[in-house]
Amino acid sequence: MGTWDNSMDQSDPFESALSSMVSSPAASNVPVSGENVMMRELIGKLGNICSSGDASCYTTPLNSPPRFDLSMVNLPNRSSLAAPFSADPGFAERAARFSCFSSSGNSGGFNDPLMDSFKLSGNQPINVDGSQSNKNSGSDKKNSGVSRSSSPENAESGVSKDESSVFQQIQSQNDAGTRKRKSTPREKPKEIPSPAADDAKVASENEESNSKRSRRNGAPAGNGNAKGSNDGNEKQRKENSKLLEPPKDYIHVRARRGQATDSHSLAERVRREKISERMKFLQDLVPGCNKVTGKAVMLDEIINYVQSLQRQVEFLSMKLATVNPRMDVNMEALLSKDMFQSRGQLPHGIYSIDSSPAFPYGYQPQQGLLPLTNGIPNTTETPFSMKTQGFLLPSVDGFTDAHPQVGPMWEDDLQSIVQMGFAQNQPQSYQGSIPTGQVKLEL
Amino acid sequence: MDLQNLNPSSLKSRFTARFLRALTEINAPKTISSSSPREIFQRYRRIKVAADKSMAYSVRSRRIWSRATLWRLRTRSRSRRLVSFGRRASVKTRTTASHGKENKEHHGAVLGVQAEELRELVPGGEAMDLCNLLDETAHYIKCLTTQGFCVYMGGLLCEGCC
Repeated sequence: MGTWDNSMDQSDPFESALSSMVSSPAASNVPVSGENVMMRELIGKLGNICSSGDASCYTTPLNSPPRFDLSMVNLPNRSSLAAPFSADPGFAERAARFSCFSSSGNSGGFNDPLMDSFKLSGNQPINVDGSQSNKNSGSDKKNSGVSRSSSPENAESGVSKDESSVFQQIQSQNDAGTRKRKSTPREKPKEIPSPAADDAKVASENEESNSKRSRRNGAPAGNGNAKGSNDGNEKQRKENSKLLEPPKDYIHVRARRGQATDSHSLAERVRREKISERMKFLQDLVPGCNKVTGKAVMLDEIINYVQSLQRQVEFLSMKLATVNPRMDVNMEALLSKDMFQSRGQLPHGIYSIDSSPAFPYGYQPQQGLLPLTNGIPNTTETPFSMKTQGFLLPSVDGFTDAHPQVGPMWEDDLQSIVQMGFAQNQPQSYQGSIPTGQVKLEL
Repeated sequence: MDLQNLNPSSLKSRFTARFLRALTEINAPKTISSSSPREIFQRYRRIKVAADKSMAYSVRSRRIWSRATLWRLRTRSRSRRLVSFGRRASVKTRTTASHGKENKEHHGAVLGVQAEELRELVPGGEAMDLCNLLDETAHYIKCLTTQGFCVYMGGLLCEGCC
């Protein structure tokens, strides 16, 4: 097909690799009629994986830009651009197999590199018949499906070297011509089940049959969805292969083997996958949640964290309330000078004062110490240090207990700002009475 | 999530600018001698409202929780004058909460209890399904940390310049 050739000519290494894979000996039993559909769907799915594997889980596939630079991927076989469609089934098989690997929680630890390899394809979604939307929505589904079982951190972090290695291995394997037994990259995967290849074929079949497929988990091939001549392969399939139908209007998901195929459970599954995606994202956000498993415990942690943050703000504003009476003109001066002159960063001015080595620790202001401990008993006498661990202050007088795990999150901010302060280190509007010893921070 | 936004238009800068302005407004009429607990408490309330409002305005309407916060703040300020409006506001909140609950039960969410708690914590969370709720929670956490950080810095600033 012309479009396929054109898109290949656009020098997407992944695409070229895929085409080369496709064009290598095609042991496909799939009838030619379904090839194009299958091809489109797979391409769409692959493209979506890459685009949706972008940094934020929440970007729509259509918006997220491709993330990985495929130029580093060294793909030797670009010559086989000419006859892609004849080998479509093979390509579909491989893609499906990869999708199996990455989407299946059963298949162990080699999901991530495959996910990454899938992401490669997202760089330039293969524009077959202009079905751009197909790919995007399809891959979004795919990504969400994958992320449920695999670790989306890897997926989102985009380990490019893994991808390239995966990719090259795939390439080499494909060149070997043993498509069926081709396994995932040798480094990462822990199991390379041969059913994967069969899965790919079945996947392609199912794509072609355009009906919902069920999960291949060793369940008997009674699902009747797989049409074509590969019925025998269904029994060997041990992994999930989740391919996407050409989306009509929204995100479409294929049913997995052994699962109900009605729209409700599908939608339910989509929803669950989205939720677990976001849960993982929150897990990164909330410190100390990496070891926590299970949604309920995670949610508890999140709730605690949000409560701690809210209480922290209340505590700090209360502290401000006691300090405030003294603050009048200087604030305006600071606002005018520090805020808008120096990159508009308030903390910059502060830090330049506090962390400046020019000010001795414990320097007492001429006006006397602020009654920091007046209304609110302050924290311990720990001197404020830019490099201190945490920001969340401990409970004082009935305030909430501190969340010591908040600490690491502030470090980056503090350090970056300290660097700013050190870089400039110009106490502009301060009259030189900086109570460095007053700043107390307890962890 | 990148909290190290050092560009002038980052969340931190926007929030800090607004918050400091609000602080000056709060403190301008006050004299140094007003340090009775009641005054302090009133000032605390105002500062907290200023912080929340600054945060919500920094985010504008891009987020559900910011819209809910702004709406809540406006409603509360109005409800002090018009009690009926406040009642209407509370009624509206209840209906949205019930809708949220219905949706949740329909989908058979297993995490009903925690989701409910989270909804109470995150402003505007009552009307959201779990998926969006988690989304909002992530952004809310990011903004809360920024807010706390800037308020803390504001405190340091006040100490420093006094």
